[in-house]
Amino acid sequence: MTAVARSWSRLTLAGKILFTVVPILLVLTAGLLLVIVLAGKPIVDFLAANMWLVRFVVAATAVLLMSVPSAFLIIYMEMKVIALMNLRIGPDRVGPFGSLLSVVHGLKVLMKEDFSPTGADRLVFTLAPVVVYMSAVMSLLVLPFAPRIFGADFNIGLLYLFAIGGLTVVGLLMGGWSSFNKYSLLGGLRSAAQVISYEIPLTLSVVGLLILAGTMSLNQLSINQSGWFTNWYVFQQPLGALIFFIAATAEANRTPFDLTEADSEIVAGFATEYSGMRFGFFFFAEYVNVFVVSGLIVTLFFGGWNAPFAWPEAWAIHLNLDPGSLGMGLLFGLLLIPPILILALAAPFYVGRSSLPWWQALIIGFVLFNLLVIVLIGGWAFISLDWVAGLLWFLLKSYVFVFIFVWMRGTLPRVRIDQLMGFAWKWLLPASLLNLFVTALAVIVISPR
Amino acid sequence: MMRLPGLGIVQGMALTLKRFFEPKATIKYPEVRLDVPPKFRGRLQLLYDEYGTLKCETCFQCAQACPIECIDMGGVDTKGRYHIHWGAPETYGERRDESALRRSGRPVPNEAYAHFDPIHPEALEAILERFDFDPKRMLEILDATQAEYGHLPVAALKLISQRTGAWYAMIYGTATYYRHLRFEPPAAEPLAASTAAARAGRETAFVSGLDASLAGLRRADA
Repeated sequence: MTAVARSWSRLTLAGKILFTVVPILLVLTAGLLLVIVLAGKPIVDFLAANMWLVRFVVAATAVLLMSVPSAFLIIYMEMKVIALMNLRIGPDRVGPFGSLLSVVHGLKVLMKEDFSPTGADRLVFTLAPVVVYMSAVMSLLVLPFAPRIFGADFNIGLLYLFAIGGLTVVGLLMGGWSSFNKYSLLGGLRSAAQVISYEIPLTLSVVGLLILAGTMSLNQLSINQSGWFTNWYVFQQPLGALIFFIAATAEANRTPFDLTEADSEIVAGFATEYSGMRFGFFFFAEYVNVFVVSGLIVTLFFGGWNAPFAWPEAWAIHLNLDPGSLGMGLLFGLLLIPPILILALAAPFYVGRSSLPWWQALIIGFVLFNLLVIVLIGGWAFISLDWVAGLLWFLLKSYVFVFIFVWMRGTLPRVRIDQLMGFAWKWLLPASLLNLFVTALAVIVISPR
Repeated sequence: MMRLPGLGIVQGMALTLKRFFEPKATIKYPEVRLDVPPKFRGRLQLLYDEYGTLKCETCFQCAQACPIECIDMGGVDTKGRYHIHWGAPETYGERRDESALRRSGRPVPNEAYAHFDPIHPEALEAILERFDFDPKRMLEILDATQAEYGHLPVAALKLISQRTGAWYAMIYGTATYYRHLRFEPPAAEPLAASTAAARAGRETAFVSGLDASLAGLRRADA
């Protein structure tokens, strides 16, 4: 038995798949690039003619790629913010301010044993986390991040979101059922009951908004709310926004409605039998869901990617600069300006603090130069490019809501299952019906057609 | 005042937000070390002196002072058989006194059998009658008692305390203040004489034995 064969036999199933798939993908990518370079024009023409294909592939890749780092970010945020609220410091060992701790957690989860209990339905057991994670990631496809930055602009975008969100329940039930464990099954059924119950007020609370807006396209909803922040739908639908927020908390399985996967309890609901990366997928899906729900609240009620005030058109700086007109000056500028600026920025530190070695001063100068360039280019892009500003506003607002979710988790205790159901059916459902009724009445009275 | 629904949630959220900005209680231990209080003694440890023997004298003061009775002492008997403990924590006080006596080289009394000897109380009753049971004339009473009994037996002091109403501790204090009052009978003269004679005989025998052995040694040298 050679060393290669021995190491291969020690890999888990997931590792074997990974070690096979990644080289194949690399070869395929290289081949694709080669084909594009060699065959060139006909392929580019074909892609230009079928822009939807390019758009889909790019959006799917981007969404898959961004879901994991954003989950890492939210997990880190949760650890840090709850720690600060508990008068602790929280993670501070790995990376600056402990910000890489969730990445290390992810690596730890990856290295754990790939385990499934005896008697489990292996296929369903394996597919359940995939279904949950896919439902979270597919929701990201229709979120409008910025003007013209979205996966797909369906005219039934909102309906699609609710349908895909409902897919989560299927994954939870699959996980609970296939674990061959009565506690998992009970947990799965409990979470299914919760998610389905809250689906109803969640959907009904948006119907009033749909009557007002007249569209289900999330992109169109964002465009409708442009201008000053008074155009945001939260001011026309305060009750709807509140109900949506509460129901979305339950949909995303967040405190105080996190009975589905109560972290602090001994039996972890449907995920009792899950460990390693399978549990990791459930875990990541929860945090991706938090981001999706926050983005959805922002898109529906808080103006989406719009700035809270009308952005004066005169502020935009349009650079009418043709680099070719500079001639050799461009080359000299690119060559000379960075070193000169680095030296200029390093000089005050070297002169002012005699204890500093020259190379440390140079490093400070280099960092400062990079910061300066980032601030200048970022500021210019923020002012001049509407999609950069929109992306920043959208992410800012979304993370404010993520912070609110984390804040609630740091504050509120978990509700009992009967309180949970009673609240959904006795309070949220009548309130959302009332909201729908009042909105419809107002639309008929104010603007009869 | 009517409480608004959801007001409690808002108050709780405000509290956690306030905590968010407050200084934190965490101490990053290996990097930051707090000053320990001056009376902090740290881990209990048995120390050895410069001759390599234990400094601990099993005085049990530590065990008696320990508020949660976590200190106990134990050991192995002379044949290395048992891991023994020196008794229940309630008895540490007694054992401390015992230890002090043992260290000072005095015999350790067994409290359980230390009854005082009985006396014939008729003579003492007569004395008390003569002094009108007056505690202010305690010295005269004690003088008369010692003249009658030869010393001051504990039973007599108890009886005086009972009849006169003075505290036993005060009578004891008065008795110990005066040199001529004593609590034990003086040594009997014939006994002392015989002891001295016996000792003289032993000494003579020892010295002659020593001389004999030395003489043997001298012969061997010559």
